[in-house]
Amino acid sequence: MARDTGIGARVKRVEDQRFITGKGRYTADLNRPGQAHAAFVRSPHAHAKVGSIDKASAMEVPGVLAVFTGEDLAADEVGALPCGWAITSKDGSPMVAPGHPCLAQGKVRYVGDPVAVVIGETLSAARGGAEALEVEYEELPAVVDLDAAQSSDAPLVHDEAARNTAFEWELGDKAATEEAFAKARHVTRIDLVNNRLVPNAMEPRAAVGEYDSGTDGFTLYTTSQNPHVARLVMSAFLNIAPEHKLRVIAPDVGGGFGSKIYVYPEETVCVWASSKVDRPVKWTCDRAEAFLSDAHGRDHLTHAELALDEQGKILGLRIKTKANVGGYLNLFASSVPTYLYATLLSGQYDIPAIYAEVDAVYTNTTPVDAYRGAGRPEATFVVERLIEVAARETGMDPAEFRRRNFVTSFPHQTPVIMMYDAGDYAASLDKALELIDYSGFAQRKSQAAREGKLRGIGFSTYIEACGIAPSQAVGSLGAGVGLWESAEVRVNPVGTVEVLTGSHSHGQGHETTFAQLVADRLGIPMTNVAIVHGDTDKVQFGMGTYGSRSGAVGMSAISVALDRVVAKAKKVAAHLLEASEGDIEFKDGQFTVSGTDRSIDWTSVALNAYTAHGFPSADLEPGLKEGAFYDPTNFTFPAGCHICELEIDADTGHTRIVNWVAVDDFGEIINPMIVEGQVHGGIAQGVGQALLEHTVYDESGQLVSGSFMDYTMPRADDLPSFSLDFTVTRCPSNPLGIKGCGEAGAIAAPAAVINAITDAVGHEDVAMPATAEAVWQAIRKSPAREAAE
Amino acid sequence: MAMKMTGEYTLPADRETVWQALNDPAILEASIPGCEEFEKVSDTEFNALARVKVGPVKARFRGNVTLSDIDAPNSYRISGEGQGGVAGFAKGGALVTLSDAEGGGTVLSYDVDAQVGGKIAQVGQRLINGAAKKTADQFFDNFRRQLDPDHAAPDAAAG
Amino acid sequence: MYDFNYHRPSSLDEAVTLLGQGEDVKVLAGGHTLLPTMKQRLAAPSDVVDLSRIAALKGIEATEGAVRIGAATSHADVAASGEVRNRIPALAALAARIGDPHVRNRGTLGGSIANNDPNADYPAACLALGATIVTTKREIAADDFFVDMFETALDEDEIVTRVDFPVPRRAGYAKFPNPASRYALVGVFVAEGGDGIRAAVTGAGPCVFRVPEMEAALGHDFSPAALEGIKVDAGGLNADIHASADYRAHLVGVMARRAVEAALEGR
Repeated sequence: MARDTGIGARVKRVEDQRFITGKGRYTADLNRPGQAHAAFVRSPHAHAKVGSIDKASAMEVPGVLAVFTGEDLAADEVGALPCGWAITSKDGSPMVAPGHPCLAQGKVRYVGDPVAVVIGETLSAARGGAEALEVEYEELPAVVDLDAAQSSDAPLVHDEAARNTAFEWELGDKAATEEAFAKARHVTRIDLVNNRLVPNAMEPRAAVGEYDSGTDGFTLYTTSQNPHVARLVMSAFLNIAPEHKLRVIAPDVGGGFGSKIYVYPEETVCVWASSKVDRPVKWTCDRAEAFLSDAHGRDHLTHAELALDEQGKILGLRIKTKANVGGYLNLFASSVPTYLYATLLSGQYDIPAIYAEVDAVYTNTTPVDAYRGAGRPEATFVVERLIEVAARETGMDPAEFRRRNFVTSFPHQTPVIMMYDAGDYAASLDKALELIDYSGFAQRKSQAAREGKLRGIGFSTYIEACGIAPSQAVGSLGAGVGLWESAEVRVNPVGTVEVLTGSHSHGQGHETTFAQLVADRLGIPMTNVAIVHGDTDKVQFGMGTYGSRSGAVGMSAISVALDRVVAKAKKVAAHLLEASEGDIEFKDGQFTVSGTDRSIDWTSVALNAYTAHGFPSADLEPGLKEGAFYDPTNFTFPAGCHICELEIDADTGHTRIVNWVAVDDFGEIINPMIVEGQVHGGIAQGVGQALLEHTVYDESGQLVSGSFMDYTMPRADDLPSFSLDFTVTRCPSNPLGIKGCGEAGAIAAPAAVINAITDAVGHEDVAMPATAEAVWQAIRKSPAREAAE
Repeated sequence: MAMKMTGEYTLPADRETVWQALNDPAILEASIPGCEEFEKVSDTEFNALARVKVGPVKARFRGNVTLSDIDAPNSYRISGEGQGGVAGFAKGGALVTLSDAEGGGTVLSYDVDAQVGGKIAQVGQRLINGAAKKTADQFFDNFRRQLDPDHAAPDAAAG
Repeated sequence: MYDFNYHRPSSLDEAVTLLGQGEDVKVLAGGHTLLPTMKQRLAAPSDVVDLSRIAALKGIEATEGAVRIGAATSHADVAASGEVRNRIPALAALAARIGDPHVRNRGTLGGSIANNDPNADYPAACLALGATIVTTKREIAADDFFVDMFETALDEDEIVTRVDFPVPRRAGYAKFPNPASRYALVGVFVAEGGDGIRAAVTGAGPCVFRVPEMEAALGHDFSPAALEGIKVDAGGLNADIHASADYRAHLVGVMARRAVEAALEGR
């Protein structure tokens, strides 16, 4: 049985049956008795003082039950949303991070900033009330442009943040890096834009808050990637209710990509308001609201330099990045452009000296936080663009240039904190070169040129730090939480198993992969395993799902708990078989006395654990249930090589990707089909960023790409069929040897695409997103243009 | 999002007549496309309600119209801003300049800037330039028609 | 969405009567523009008259020298129609590339042209093929039908019932889609019919328009090469976050050449 469903098997996702037959239970599907509806009044201005709010104007609308504003929250001492990772500036000062009020306290700082909530008998009444609510705004000049936001004459988003700067942070050895550049034979310099992205999970956010006056307790149903963290923040920082009086349930959740990690104003207000109106309060975000109110991703401007010696060996790397954090520093926003970014600037390369400076900058735009990859796509884009440009400038083959600079012995300590534990970067590069038929590229390029097409090839040999994260390490870097994971394995008397995990599943397929692990280890059918997650009343605690951590950290916790269950079951089996515990072997669901034919099966042991007849009470407790809190000892380091080959229609600038090869090293793989699906989705999002997804604010701070009429999501016909393969170096730091796979595609892809486009057009001046017009403009100043004509 | 437009008309009236018309509430009311209410607050301030229709989108904007930078009878700035409820807000203005036309009449030239915000800016970017230009054209066409009923189209208009 | 009265008449007479009753009555065809606008609460009609159950508005019929397409015929049905594919393959190809499969199965010919979105595909075909738009009141030449952005010659109480497309000697359509909406950023339909060459451009300006210079050049020499050097003035063209006016002007030239190629290849 284990061969069909165990570790390494391509098991179809068990959760898909309910998702594709409409049986998923999402937050918006839930309706509670007596439920009222919330509609939020949002600022239409990017920056304004909020004057008087005439509640009566909304209360006159039939069906409106209540109107609440920031004053009401303040009266109840509901706190502001905090940033949970403290960053220290290079001058030693703490970051400047005023909290984000759930409803505006006198000022709004981006279009969509919540100002008031209207509670109605029906959604229509609530929305009618929200439209009728008269709010006085005194418009203030807005700062939108990241490059200009730190100038002395820019308007201030927060009075306390001079030059709109939240922090000025550095990492690495400045002096050593300067020295490396001083002795360089060649220096490559580039300026890069890492474009802002709107996450656009398929399911918009939603919340139902419910107060029970009988128990004085709250229940919040919400679209969260980490319900326990939501409860912790609401309890510890927002003063909604103590943790034992607040239950948070994240039922089926339709995608997150990071955007559902955070605690947002809306769910906080719903749960709070449910006690004010003494009725459940439901809110479902519509797509237009989601564009404005979900935390956005990326948005960096970077100047980067690479120093080389005469043999093309890298001597040093330095960067200066401005990271746009939007109107407020969101929950984990400070960690994304710092410890999740600059720590990966060594890439797959042996770089002796690195120095990074990052300024986090406020603007009057939607807050920016982690989005699939979170900092690591930004780092990979910088490193892989630099490497490609350096190879071209020095006349070296980009594959060979990479090979010459790869880290080849492990463990490897980089100059930017990380210690790479295992990898074989040349192996994935070689396999990818073979799959793409690299030696045939020149011929394909000239064939394309004869058809009026510009063909280009681009590499991205990325690395990421996943398995987030060792609690001690992140604690020393400023994190407000530990990043372990919990698991509990409960064996029922009939031998079926419930696994309670703190890793939330919102598209990753945990109900399949986690069950595969359990089935494999206990020798029982997968159908006898239930994976329980997303409910703070069931799972004791958990840190949630992000940072490709569920396999490496969440499953490791399950693995440890399974070890403990098996150890206990052996004790029970030893008692039943009248043998010594040390003589019991457990394999394929059978407990056997070593060297004999005496055995007992899993089901009998489970049943006897609960009947407990004749247990010697002092040595053997009844029951079969064990738990674990697993704290990783290191990050994991998935790495690989993606190669993009594309053709550009020289007449229109339209780019078509014709081939995509990805050879990834994710360590051990539980379910290759699910892993491939994760890679497919990641590449699609990375291609989306590189070619299509264009977040545009006008100069007054209006988001003008705020619907799917204008914001281009990648679709199947924008993508080729991918050629995927894997190399495997086991992760040494966790029991399963897993590295994680959820973000790799999104991390690797943008650099591969832009490296291919710049190869095709013959110069480096192509920014993301490389829309058709942008590429057409680039071709017009291209030396390759004449070649094609 | 912000738009800028310019245009020019030649009107068969002397400059003083055109200037009077530019300051006549009744003529302004008749010139504002979709104007449903126009109420004088002072000689240079008016409250207005206008119905705007762009394709399937219909919204009523309530706001005010102000005349400023008055240099009679040469130029002024006419500006307005309105709240369109769920649609968002719009504001804008035109610097209107009069000069004597060769061979009689008056040349009216305008330099419009406009800005919208809220939902119409969020979902309607591809149409806003066109809609703003059309609205400005309609205003000056309506104005012209009252001084010169025989002509309707602008002599020259450029985006 | 605000509350509204929903009507689903089974005859045209009934539909026309309903159009005259109510404060702000809107016709619902495929609903791809109207319904999203209502959901955004940017439109609040008092009454919506759904044409989907009026059999007389559906169907495709070939006549001597023309193909008549009922106004409520879906894009998917036009794309799949043997009559259209055989006699005006460019029109079938155009319908096959409107939006995405969902749009093509709900959206209708009549709805598209009555809405006259500046980026819609069908207006280019109607204008270039010299189609006749048949309504509940009259017949309108395509040249007179498309007035301005979202404006047509239709009266408030008038419904498009059918479009008659004369069968051209040859025709071709080329489109550069908006990557997000798949509307035409620029689409050019070129046709050689009874009254010569017509080239119509959608997406580039506030309303579909013809390019006489191209028509004249193609009249002398119906080939992509004949269009080399003909530039459309960017002044007055649309500009948005997807394409500047200059880029659109450039694309008009590229798409016109490709439309001629398509016409020559009979696709």
